[in-house]
Amino acid sequence: MTQPRTARYQSALLATALLLASGALLAAGAAVGSTGASHWTALWADDTAGQIVREIRLPRSLAAWLAGALLGLSGAVAQGLFRNPLADPFMLGSASGAALGVAVVLVAGGGVLSAGFGPHGLGLTGAAFAGALAAVAMTLALAQGVHDSLRLLLAGVVVGVVLGALASLLSQLSPQTLPAMQAFMLGSTAMVGWSGCALMAVSLAVAVLTGWMLSPVLDGLSLGEATARSLGLPLAAMRLALLAVLALATGAAVAQTGLIAFVGLAAPHLVRSLSRPMAGPLLLLSALTGGVLLLAADIAARGVLAPQELPVGVLTAILGGGYLLWLMRRGAASGGLR
Amino acid sequence: MKRSLFAIVFDVMVVRLVRSGTRWWWRSCARWVGVSALAASMVPALAFPVVVTDDQGRQVNVMAAPQRIVTLLPSLAETVCELGHCPRLVGVDRFTQWPASIARLPRVGGGLDPDIEAIVALRPDLVLTSGSGRVAQRLQALGLTVIALEPRTLADTRRVLKEVSRVLTGSDRDGTLAWVRLETGVGNAAQSIPPRSRGGTVYFEVGSGPYAAGEASFIGELIARLGARSIVPAALGPFPKINPEFVVRADPGVILIAADQAAGLASRPGWAGLRAVREARVCAFSPAEGDVLVRAGPRLAEAARLLASCLASKAPTLPTVAPGAMPPAMPALRP
Amino acid sequence: MTALAGRPSAICARGLRVRLGGVEILHGVDLALPTGRWTAVVGPNGAGKSTLLRGLAGLVASSGAVELLGRPLADWRGRERGRRLAWLGQVEVPSGDLRTYDLVMLGRLPHLAWLASPGPVDHAVVEQALRATQAWDWRDRPVGQLSGGERQRVLLARALAVQADVLLMDEPLGNLDPPHQADWLALVRQQVAQGRTVVTVLHELTMALGADALVIVAGGSVRWHGACEDPATHRALEQVFEQRIRIHPLEGQWVALPR
Repeated sequence: MTQPRTARYQSALLATALLLASGALLAAGAAVGSTGASHWTALWADDTAGQIVREIRLPRSLAAWLAGALLGLSGAVAQGLFRNPLADPFMLGSASGAALGVAVVLVAGGGVLSAGFGPHGLGLTGAAFAGALAAVAMTLALAQGVHDSLRLLLAGVVVGVVLGALASLLSQLSPQTLPAMQAFMLGSTAMVGWSGCALMAVSLAVAVLTGWMLSPVLDGLSLGEATARSLGLPLAAMRLALLAVLALATGAAVAQTGLIAFVGLAAPHLVRSLSRPMAGPLLLLSALTGGVLLLAADIAARGVLAPQELPVGVLTAILGGGYLLWLMRRGAASGGLR
Repeated sequence: MKRSLFAIVFDVMVVRLVRSGTRWWWRSCARWVGVSALAASMVPALAFPVVVTDDQGRQVNVMAAPQRIVTLLPSLAETVCELGHCPRLVGVDRFTQWPASIARLPRVGGGLDPDIEAIVALRPDLVLTSGSGRVAQRLQALGLTVIALEPRTLADTRRVLKEVSRVLTGSDRDGTLAWVRLETGVGNAAQSIPPRSRGGTVYFEVGSGPYAAGEASFIGELIARLGARSIVPAALGPFPKINPEFVVRADPGVILIAADQAAGLASRPGWAGLRAVREARVCAFSPAEGDVLVRAGPRLAEAARLLASCLASKAPTLPTVAPGAMPPAMPALRP
Repeated sequence: MTALAGRPSAICARGLRVRLGGVEILHGVDLALPTGRWTAVVGPNGAGKSTLLRGLAGLVASSGAVELLGRPLADWRGRERGRRLAWLGQVEVPSGDLRTYDLVMLGRLPHLAWLASPGPVDHAVVEQALRATQAWDWRDRPVGQLSGGERQRVLLARALAVQADVLLMDEPLGNLDPPHQADWLALVRQQVAQGRTVVTVLHELTMALGADALVIVAGGSVRWHGACEDPATHRALEQVFEQRIRIHPLEGQWVALPR
C-alpha cells in the first residue's frame, strides 16, 4: 500500500538522507576512538593502528548502527501492534529475559559456560538471545494468544517484572557475578566483533523483510481491532508473526550490545516528526533512524571524554530525548498538541 | 638434570684424569663443558611452549616467555610483580595500586569494561584477566593470548601463583617459592597473636549491603588460620549478603569494617548493644588496607599481619562463648 | 413482530447468543434484515445493541447461525467478507498519525492485493468518499489535527470507500453537529438508493425514526422489528422506553420527544 506521490517522495528523500548520514557516521566511527583519531588511510595500514581501525572501530560502529536499526524497527512494530505511542521493544519482557539468561550462565557455569558454545563464544550472547525469546513466548502463553492487545501488554509487564526479579535474586545469591551482569546489561558496543555484526545483519534482514510484508496489518490495526478484523485481515496469524519479528530483533540486539533504552521508543517518533508514512515505510525509516541515532550516540560516547567511555544509553537519551523535547516545545508554542 | 650432568661431568673428569693422560683429559673436558653449557642453556627453552588451562576451561598455548603483559585484575598484577617480573608489565587496570612502580604504567580501564583499543595498541603478548564476562573472548578474537584466572580462595591463590610462574618462566618454581613465603608470613602472623586473644568470633564486613566474609572465603580461611572464626558459616557462601539481625544474634567478639562505615556502627538498629561496639572492639581499615585485605593475591601475608594486629589488640581476652553454646576448641597451628 | 415480506435478507441471524466476560448479553436473537433498506437499531442503554451489531458482523464470538447475503458467515473468507461488509465502530480513535487521504485509502484494503499499490479506481473511490463527507479539502491534514466531528466524517469516508453491499454503523453520529447529521442522513439515503443495505445503531430516536425499518432491542433480545411508518412500531417504542417518550408527526417526519 503506497501513498500519493508527494508522500512517497518525502519518504524516499528521508531514507536517502538517513543512508547518507549513516555512511558519514560510519566513517567518523572508524576514525574516533580512545587511542586518538585516525586518518582514513589507516584502514589498510598493516600496523597496530590499522588493526585497531579494521578490527575494533569499524565493527563497533557497524554494530552500533545494526543494533540501533534492530531496536528502531522493533519500536515501530511494538507501537503499531499495541496502538500505544509509548510502547518500546522491551515491553514484552525481552530485556528481563535476556538478563535472566545472562544471570543463569554466570551463576551456574561461572567462567566455563561463558566461553563455551563455539569458537565465537556464544555463551553469554546465546543465553541472552534465548532468554529474550523465552520471555516473549512466556508472555504469549500468559496472554493466551494474540487476540487482546491490552492483555498482551499486561502479560508483558508481568513477565518482565517477574523475570527481572528472578535475575536480581540469582545475582544476589552469587554476588561475585553482580559486576559481570551489570557490565553486560549496561549496554555497550565495546565487545562486539565482526561475527556479532554478521549475526545482527542477518537478523535485521529477516526482520525488515518480514515486517515490510506484514505492514498492512499494522495499518489496519491503527483503525482499531474491530475495524481491522472487518477489513478481512488475518489478525491472529499476522500478529503472531509480528511478535516473532519483535522477539527476534530485540533479542539479537540485546544479546550483542546489552540493554540500550530509548532508541526503540524514540526512533518512530523522530520519523513521524519529519514525515507521515504508512506502516511499511515507517518500519524502514524507523530502522534507519534508530541506526543513525545509536551510531551517533556511540561515537559521542567514545569521543567526548576520550579515552574514557561514557555509557551509550545516556547519550541516546540526551540526543533523542533532547530532539523530542524541542519538538514538543515547538508544538506547544504553535498551539497544537502533537 | 643440571645436577646430574655436573655430577657426571665431575666424575668422568676425575676418573678419566686418574686413569688416562692429560691431552685426552683436556679434549674431553672441553667437550663436556660444551655439552653441559648447551644443555644448561636449553633447559629453559625446553620448558616452552607451555600449555595452560585457564579458569574458563580454555587451553592456551604460550609459545615463548611473554615480555609485554597487560593485567586486568589487581591481584594478577600483584602476582606478576611478586614473581619479580614487574618490568614486563605494559598496562594495568585502573584498580591496581600496588606496587608503587606501576604508577607509571598506562591504565586500560576496568576489569569488566576495559578499553579494548588501548589494550591492542599496547601490543601485548599476554593478557591476564579475570574469569567472567566477554572480555577474554573479545581479546582472543582480536588475536591476543588471553589467560583468565581469578583467585578466590587460598588454594586458588597458590594455584594462580604457580600457573603465572609457569607462564612467565616455564617452571612453577618461583610460584612455589612465593607461596612458601606467603605461608610463612601467615604462620608468623598467627604466632604473633597471644593465646589469650585466640578462639574468638569475628565479623568482617566487606561492603555495605551488608556483605560479610564467610568461613568459605579466603578472608575466612585467614581468620581461621589466626585462631578465630567468622560468624558467617560456610554454608552461606563466600561473600553472602546477610541480615543485620544475624550479626546481632551472633554477637561477634571483633568487628572489622571499612573506616568510613565504622563511625555509623552504633546508629545501626540494635547494634549499639553489641559487645564489640560497646567495648570498642572495632578495627577500621583504611582504603589502602582494604585493598590488601580483600584481594586474594600475593599480599595475603600482609593481610594476615593486619588481621593479626587487629585481633591481638582488639580481641577480648577471654574466649567468647555464645550463650548456650560449647566453648570453641583451640585450632592447631598449621605450618 | 411484523415481517417485511418479499425482500431477501442481507443479514439474518438465528438463535444468536453472545457471552462477554461470562455474562450472556444476547439471548437467542432471531433477526432478518432486508436488503436495500436502512434499518435502525434502537433501545435503552445496555440493551445489547452494539453487541448485536458486532455479532451480525462476525466481530465477536457467538453461538447460533448468522448468514450474510445468503451464505453462512463462517463460509466467507476474510477479504471476501471485507469487500461485502463494511463496519464503522463506535468512537474508535485511530492510533498513529496518518494523513486523512491515507486513512480513507485503508478502506480499500480488502480490494487490493497484498502490498499492492492502489490503482486509479481506488483513488477515484477515495476521492468520491471524501467529497461525499465534505472532507476533500483537508485530505492532506494528519488525522490527529482534526476535530472530533471532522474525524468522524473521515472515518465514515473510510467505511464508504469499501463500497460494500452492507454497511454496519455503530453510533455514527458521535461528535457530529446538526448540519453534518443532516448530511449523514442524506448520505445514508443515497447509499440505500444505490441498493446498499445500511444498519445503524442509534440512540437519537428522531434520526432513527427516519429509517425504513426499526429494530427495538431491550434486555438482550429483540422486542420489535417493523416499519418506521407503522403506528404499532411507535407504540412499541414508547412502551420499551416506559412511556417516557412520545412520538409526534412533524412536517412529514416522526419526532420523539420526552414526555
